Amino acid sequence: MSAVTTARPAIRARLPHLGRSAQVGVVLAILLVLFVLLENKFPWPSGLIYPLNKRFDALYEWIVDNQNSHWLFLYFFNHIANFLDQLVAYLNGVLVWLSWVGVTAAATLITLRWSGRRVALLVCGSFLSFGVLGVWEESMETLALMLSAVLVSLAIGIPAGVLAGRSDRFDKAITPVLDVMQIVPAFAYLMPVVIFFSVGNPAAVIATVVYAVPPAVRITALGVRGVARESVEMAESLGATRRQVLFGVQLPLALRSIMLGVNQTIMMALSIVIIASLIGGGGLGDTVISALSFLDVGLAIVASSAIVIMAIALDRATEAAAARMDASRHPEGGLRTPRFSARTLTAAVFVAIAAFALAARAFGIASFPDTVGVGDFIAGIINDVITWVQDPTKPVYPVTSWLGDHLVLWGLEPLRVFLSDSPWWAVIGSAVAIALIVSGVRQMIIAGVLLTAIGVMGVWGPGMDTASQVLVSTVLTLFFGVALGIVAAETPRFEQTIRPIQDALQTLPQIVYLIPIVALFSVGRVPGVIASVLYATPVVIRLVVVGIKEVSPAAVEAARAFGASRAEVLLKVKIPLARPAIMLGVNQGIIMVLAVVIVAGLVGGGALGYGVVVGLQRNEFGDGAVASLAILALGIVLDRVTRGNLQRRSI
Amino acid sequence: MSEAGVVQDEGRRAAPTERASDPVISARGVWKIFGPQAEAEKIIGTEAATLPRAELRERTGCIAAVRDVDFEVWPGEVFVVMGLSGSGKSTLARVLIRLIEPTAGEIRIAGHDVMAADTAGLRQLRRGTVAMVFQHFGLLAHRRVVDNIGFGLEIQQKPKEQRLDRARKMVELVGLDGFENHFPDQLSGGMQQRVGLARAFAVDPEVMIFDEPFSALDPLIRRDMQNEVIRLQKETGKTMLFITHDLSEALRLGDRIMIMRDGEVVQQGSPEDLVGSPADDYVRNFVQDVPRSQVLTLRWIMRDATASDDLSGPTAPVDEVVRDVVSLVADNPKPVRVMDGDRMVGVVDRVAVLRADGGRS
Repeated sequence: MSAVTTARPAIRARLPHLGRSAQVGVVLAILLVLFVLLENKFPWPSGLIYPLNKRFDALYEWIVDNQNSHWLFLYFFNHIANFLDQLVAYLNGVLVWLSWVGVTAAATLITLRWSGRRVALLVCGSFLSFGVLGVWEESMETLALMLSAVLVSLAIGIPAGVLAGRSDRFDKAITPVLDVMQIVPAFAYLMPVVIFFSVGNPAAVIATVVYAVPPAVRITALGVRGVARESVEMAESLGATRRQVLFGVQLPLALRSIMLGVNQTIMMALSIVIIASLIGGGGLGDTVISALSFLDVGLAIVASSAIVIMAIALDRATEAAAARMDASRHPEGGLRTPRFSARTLTAAVFVAIAAFALAARAFGIASFPDTVGVGDFIAGIINDVITWVQDPTKPVYPVTSWLGDHLVLWGLEPLRVFLSDSPWWAVIGSAVAIALIVSGVRQMIIAGVLLTAIGVMGVWGPGMDTASQVLVSTVLTLFFGVALGIVAAETPRFEQTIRPIQDALQTLPQIVYLIPIVALFSVGRVPGVIASVLYATPVVIRLVVVGIKEVSPAAVEAARAFGASRAEVLLKVKIPLARPAIMLGVNQGIIMVLAVVIVAGLVGGGALGYGVVVGLQRNEFGDGAVASLAILALGIVLDRVTRGNLQRRSI
Repeated sequence: MSEAGVVQDEGRRAAPTERASDPVISARGVWKIFGPQAEAEKIIGTEAATLPRAELRERTGCIAAVRDVDFEVWPGEVFVVMGLSGSGKSTLARVLIRLIEPTAGEIRIAGHDVMAADTAGLRQLRRGTVAMVFQHFGLLAHRRVVDNIGFGLEIQQKPKEQRLDRARKMVELVGLDGFENHFPDQLSGGMQQRVGLARAFAVDPEVMIFDEPFSALDPLIRRDMQNEVIRLQKETGKTMLFITHDLSEALRLGDRIMIMRDGEVVQQGSPEDLVGSPADDYVRNFVQDVPRSQVLTLRWIMRDATASDDLSGPTAPVDEVVRDVVSLVADNPKPVRVMDGDRMVGVVDRVAVLRADGGRS
């Protein structure tokens, strides 16, 4: 039966005379001809623009007028805002009460209890470094903000994930929603959140939650689904109720996945901390943003280092905890009875934390000892380095400016002109045609409608600008990602070398990439492109490596047995078989690139990202909201145009 | 097709006429059609129901996994359902306790009307009456052996002491002494399935359903485990429904065997019925490599005595397996007289024994 169904698409795919890439090439060639013939003849017609930004402005005015009278706010939004405000304040209060001694002790002892000795040492050092860098209070504000967001995300994400894991219908219903939530760059959430919750910690928490919930749901659902069907059937065959199945079988066996979901949620929350401070989130993010606005790159880097340190510490701690929770892992032999029961140990941990906090108060060391401005010192050095780097008479500046100029001259600008000065109908037409060739009819319709919507909202030009930046970055990302991925898959030693770099790069919040790069390449479109390549390449590398490594060893062995050389094995067996994974890399890469390109609006990237920045900074809510919607549309278009590919191939 | 048609039961333990009690499991006209429920129900009773599987799927999008299956399992019997993968045997096992909801049919287990049971009734049936052993064991990796074995009792909310007590007894029963506190992944496959067996026995069910329990095990261990089942069955006298795709396992364990293909019952009968008179080519193919002399009894190869036979030879009972009279005919040139009690029912000579051993009848 299955042989019949798999054979069919293959036959159909072979029917057209041109391969898919050739078809795409033809479409692009037609577009190029139209561009040459009709350049600038068909800008987006003003008659086709609907003033959506005015509508949003009106909505915002209405909200401002009714915020304290309308039931929607009195009984819904304001309650949520108040609750979140109190939650953040409460957690912050706890952290302040514990003092730096108590917090460091808590972090260390908790990781010691659940994650192991080595990680505990790392965590202890990390927390002390916040104080040493002189950003203890800001770090604690960030921690409180992040913990609130993580708590809310998990409170929503875990039950929803369990439900999605147990009910196919619910899973089907929420999958497209989660897809969209993950495709849209976090930057685009900010505007709508501000409109409903105004600026402040609650808005920051909500933006973070929207960003962090999808992985929590997905990983939990995956964990619950990953529990062997037979285990569930076994419990049912013994007459277990649904509750008994859930608590006796599914949850315990999915515990590790759920813990990984917690890990992901924390990482997502930390990666948006800086962005969230644009809408009123305090703490380290705020320090970074205000330092940037004073062009104090040194301070920005110090503060973002604290975020990165926090991210790495919490990542390793939760990851180790997850590994320990693996249902099938247990202390050697599992026969030794531990000296203390789990409960006693847990109780001891909390007693010790309280003791540390009280002792710190009693001995009057509740505030972190003045470290004679270590942070300022480091920031000063960084600033000196940057001044040196930016000095045209020194060796670095000529190189980077040459690179940056050429990237603009030969990549970004021609492509932007090509996309925005071609007839608009030709651009939409070719995008639709490519979507059809690559992904099928449904995705074609979605892409066509959303692309048109970008024009109708009146942001065709910025939209094409963003698209050109994304395309240039994606091409670079794929070039480096696929090449390095293949090398890494073939040479284990190289993979081991780049692995820690990859891990580190993946823990960094998007915007942290931008800061040093801005220093190197100065503001403009270039830092966004380079940062996005750095941000997305590790993921592409990883997917390519996984894809190539998962190629069946039997196929490789067979090719070798027929006398294929290493290059032939790679080109004729491994890469073709790894194609679905590589295509997934294209899709993921493009989405990640988009996220950074948008954030780069903060450092002169212009285009749609800048629309959001202006909206936030100058209270141009209508324009900001329109830019956000256009980002959302563009994200979905890019995803749809590239994703169909992998679904078809994976049949 | 076959002269025998569907050969009905002639169990080794008791012939149907002698059975005083009711069957433990009785299934009548059981159907399972995968697909939209409304669509599936429409199929039964129409000519679509008789279509071959592929055609039915083409026309309606439904897959008939179990088609109109009838059978009974009697107390203390080991009833084997055999078929290749995709024959619907595992679906049938799940349908019986409605782990998979049957599309139609009548199922009674130990006096309970399974189809009429509500959620609570069904739960009651699964908790006390039936226990299942699974192909991949279905053990919980995060629990120790005793806690796995006691899981069924935990579901029944039995107090912890009682649970552990019973679980320890079961550990002993299946020969896992000393491994009580191990985790499943510290045990070999065979030992893991012993845990699965113990878990099923722990709830003291009336019926045990085995779903290809040994097919994931190595051949030697499989043999061990089969012996273990035979031993446990003798010790406890449990009624067992055993699903397998392995004919030799079916012949070893089964008092009666039901062969399925494409969701339908092809033949039901004792091992010797299947080997002696296969219902069609499908079954014949299956049993052609079986060493017939080890399965067939003298009943299958004897002939009526003629005037030329010298009836002063040795005797052998009619339900003796052919292999066991080989040395008898080797030592005696005269035909062996086949006895049903005191009555002579036929004779067997050297030629018949050799032919039976050689294959063709």
